[in-house]
Amino acid sequence: MSITRHVSNDGKELTIAVHGKFDFGLVHEFRRAYSSIGDEKPTIYIDLRETEYLDSSALGMLLNMRKAVSDNVKGIHIINSRPEVKTILDISRFDKLFTIE
Amino acid sequence: MLKPSQQIVIDIYQDDSSFARSVVDELKRLRIARRIRLRSAADWHPDLSLLHPTIVVSAALETRFLQALDCPHQLLVLPRETDQQESLKWHGDVLPWPSSVGLTLQRVQLMATSFNTMRQLHAVRKSLILHTQRVEREHELVEHIFRNALSRNFTNYEHIRTLLTPASKFNGDLCLVAPGPLGNLYVLMADFTGHGLAPATGALPLSQAFFAMADRSVSVAEMVVEFNYRLNRLLPNDMFCACFLLELSANGERLSYWNGGMPPALVFGQDGVVKHRLKAQHMALGVLSVDDFDSQVATIRTQATDAIALFTDGVIEMLSQKREFLGMEALEHLIQTYPGRDDFQSLVTELENFRGTQPLHDDLSLAILQCCPTGLASPEYGDEVQALPFTFQTTLDAEDLRQVDVVTSVLGVLGRLPALHGHRTTIYLLLAEVFNNALEHGLLGLDSRMKSDPEGFAYYYQLRTERLQALQSGSISIEVRFDQRQNYLRISVSNTGVPWEPDQPISTTRLSQPYGRGLDLLQQLADDLRWTDNGRKVSFGYHLASR
Repeated sequence: MSITRHVSNDGKELTIAVHGKFDFGLVHEFRRAYSSIGDEKPTIYIDLRETEYLDSSALGMLLNMRKAVSDNVKGIHIINSRPEVKTILDISRFDKLFTIE
Repeated sequence: MLKPSQQIVIDIYQDDSSFARSVVDELKRLRIARRIRLRSAADWHPDLSLLHPTIVVSAALETRFLQALDCPHQLLVLPRETDQQESLKWHGDVLPWPSSVGLTLQRVQLMATSFNTMRQLHAVRKSLILHTQRVEREHELVEHIFRNALSRNFTNYEHIRTLLTPASKFNGDLCLVAPGPLGNLYVLMADFTGHGLAPATGALPLSQAFFAMADRSVSVAEMVVEFNYRLNRLLPNDMFCACFLLELSANGERLSYWNGGMPPALVFGQDGVVKHRLKAQHMALGVLSVDDFDSQVATIRTQATDAIALFTDGVIEMLSQKREFLGMEALEHLIQTYPGRDDFQSLVTELENFRGTQPLHDDLSLAILQCCPTGLASPEYGDEVQALPFTFQTTLDAEDLRQVDVVTSVLGVLGRLPALHGHRTTIYLLLAEVFNNALEHGLLGLDSRMKSDPEGFAYYYQLRTERLQALQSGSISIEVRFDQRQNYLRISVSNTGVPWEPDQPISTTRLSQPYGRGLDLLQQLADDLRWTDNGRKVSFGYHLASR
């Protein structure tokens, strides 16, 4: 259970939480998590509170997600990053591509 | 005419006069008890604590008979010629002798009955006292446990105001506040069915789970799943727990909540106007099995000037002097009248005025949380950690590389060291980049450009898996050196594969390109990055204090 997925009742929010290690080992599971997002133009929240480790492949996976869904979502927010993870996202200039909270 | 007596033992104190002997003989003949114990009248005194129904037989009314008796339920038998006025000063019952058989039996019976009733009453009273003492002791014990269990409760968080009033000694309502390590804040308000000690016991496992999970910054959905699992197993079928759990993000802008069976929480602005009513979308905790339980969480956006009021039904069902319910509308009106954070006391006073002298029928809890930035973020670890210098070196051959998740294993060891723990995510990233470079380009001959589109990206990692499984030769060495005086880490990774030329770091125009980012991160996060041996060896440093 490295990825958990929650859709809000009204279908307007999709939360994808990544637990433990976020890297290419999750490439298919992560794609599945955003493969059906419904017609509500939801906001996607990537919850990284329990993401302890990540590498550049995880960043690539986030970018691929953005490419795949950006026309069908209201926005993509990366939330609850631990300070170290936040630094990595900042250095990669992800703030220009995602909403980082 | 003679009824066999129910009385087992009767004590008779007699003064050994001929009068007394004749009375005793007659009483024995009447079989007033199964056993009669004869005592000397000289042993009798007014303070005697009596074991059995007692008759005193005396030829004369002695002055000691006129004192107050410890037990008035005894019968004094005197000669009929004794002064009646005087004999009435005896505090018990008097039987002038001789007397008819019927009257004698009746009076003895009466005395025995009242004596026995008195004895029973004493026994009941004594056990009641013991019982009360035991209950008090147990309550003290439970109170102590509750105090300790809730000692971590962060109700003195500066942006929350609470009113918690139990209807009896123990509170069936629970209001828990805990900070998460990300600077986020959790607030839980729960209401167990009933009030008093029984529901309060459910608060123990719930609060323990709440604090432990808040420490790990677990999401609201996972928290309620765990709470429900615990309470479902623990509580009897007729008991459950309505619960409102919320998490406010560190910046105070995002509020996620789960409401199971609680009244709607009210989100209101500075002006007190209600913006959201966060109604219950779920059943209370402890009702549904794990499979049926729905942990769906909702999220709203909030501003620093917004506040959220959480309350139990005890507030809206509070009775007034005229025995009318307060109700939702009146509560909303009160909040609109007193929306400011400094108005809370006035709000409480209004509620108290409404109730007047009407006793509470249910526990009553109200909490108002300001949705401003929490200001709670804390560093993960203190900097003042004593550390030893060390060198870690490992060489992995093809078989090791096929079987071991190398970077995770190395971090599994190094990440536990106190000096490195707070940097484990960054160290992982740096080591993962250089290790994956060595493996993917040096040993497996993969080309990153393949990753430029999503299909290629997945294909690249599929190839990586296939080629790694087929790998027969080559090795990768990792060396980690820690200098505790400089607080500096030096990591080298070398491989026996093909030479490799590092790419140029990506420019801002290629920001969304999904590959090539690893080198960029290395250059920015690491210190003194050096490639040698035609790109087969890379080494870099990392300052642990630089965060």
